[in-house]
Amino acid sequence: MNEKLKEAFDEVQAEDQLKRKTKEFVFQKTKGYTQHRFTGYKYIISAFACMALFLLGGRWVYFTPTVEISIDINPSVELGVNRFNRIISFESYNDDGQELVDSLDIKFMDYSEAVNQIVESEDITSLLSDGEILTIAVVGADNLQSQKIFSNIQSCTEEKNNTYCWYVHSEEVEKAHESGLSYGKYKAFLEVQKLDPGVTVEEIQNMTMREIRDLINELSDDGENGTDYLGNSNRQGEKQKGRGRKQAE
Amino acid sequence: MRSEQEVNRTIELYSNMVRRICMIHLKNYADTEDIFQTVFLKYALSSISFENERHERSWLIRITINACKDLLKSFFHSRVTSLDEIIEKPEAMREDHTEVLEAVLSLPQKYRDIIYLHYYEDYTAPEISRILGKKVNTVYTLLTRSKQMLREKLGGDEDE
Repeated sequence: MNEKLKEAFDEVQAEDQLKRKTKEFVFQKTKGYTQHRFTGYKYIISAFACMALFLLGGRWVYFTPTVEISIDINPSVELGVNRFNRIISFESYNDDGQELVDSLDIKFMDYSEAVNQIVESEDITSLLSDGEILTIAVVGADNLQSQKIFSNIQSCTEEKNNTYCWYVHSEEVEKAHESGLSYGKYKAFLEVQKLDPGVTVEEIQNMTMREIRDLINELSDDGENGTDYLGNSNRQGEKQKGRGRKQAE
Repeated sequence: MRSEQEVNRTIELYSNMVRRICMIHLKNYADTEDIFQTVFLKYALSSISFENERHERSWLIRITINACKDLLKSFFHSRVTSLDEIIEKPEAMREDHTEVLEAVLSLPQKYRDIIYLHYYEDYTAPEISRILGKKVNTVYTLLTRSKQMLREKLGGDEDE
């Protein structure tokens, strides 16, 4: 039976016409064996493009600072905070600041921890006890995140002597870096300039915040000791004004 | 996608096999053309790399059987099976061969694949079970029954 079956099946063969038609059909359907070859690549390319877009987008979302925190005493340090409240960059604007930056390891740290670490560092605490003034400027585009950061830092620094915290709109200090000053110091420079238009960036650059503050006090019309420019910066600053004066005196 | 040479080689190599599977499933020659086109286009577009010729062969068997089953599911396909309608020139066949094939085609569908794969392609029961997705024991049972039925129809020759 095996043989019979084999022989019988052997007789069934694909007709030449059937083979020819099939070859023609496949050739036609694949547009001469070209169409789908590239379709495969297209899928791969689009997959890679999507992945690249996702990675770049993710990188952009994570590594774009949305809020800057400028910490000035004499060391001037600026922290870039991303939308997830993480420190993604920190830069110094003078030699003292550089020393401070070198001694810290705050990258990708939550901003509140980082600010705490800086404020409580030995350098800063000894400067504060010598009567220097520490200013923390939160620079943002008036959005919810920057407001939150400002109010958090404000509450953290409330109890500290000679420490001021205020909010600055990023547009107000956009030229700070061109002048080689940190945002915080630039804001102070603008205040000095209001009182004395002849003052230059160079003069301000190497002054401590205490010296700048004293200069402002000297230049201000009322000459009242303790009048600080910090309160004039904006609405949030108004709240800080009274407290700042109290702390300073 | 595969190259034209590769597809043409496969058509030349396996078209008889596909043709035989079509014969044991289909009701007319036009359907066979459809199956040929479906199977070899699928092959041309697939990117599977086969370990060896046997792997390629069993892949094509599976694809062909599935394509035939799909086609038969179609409501408009007639249920009449006659060798005259399946083979283009049945008159050119030897009479005893026609008789054997008619006997195979008279069996229920589930036995035909088994008979072809076992007797003609020399696949073992475990291999058939993998190709058809059936249990090995089921394949053994179907094989035994199909042998009995064929013996009854073809006069009961004893050979294995």
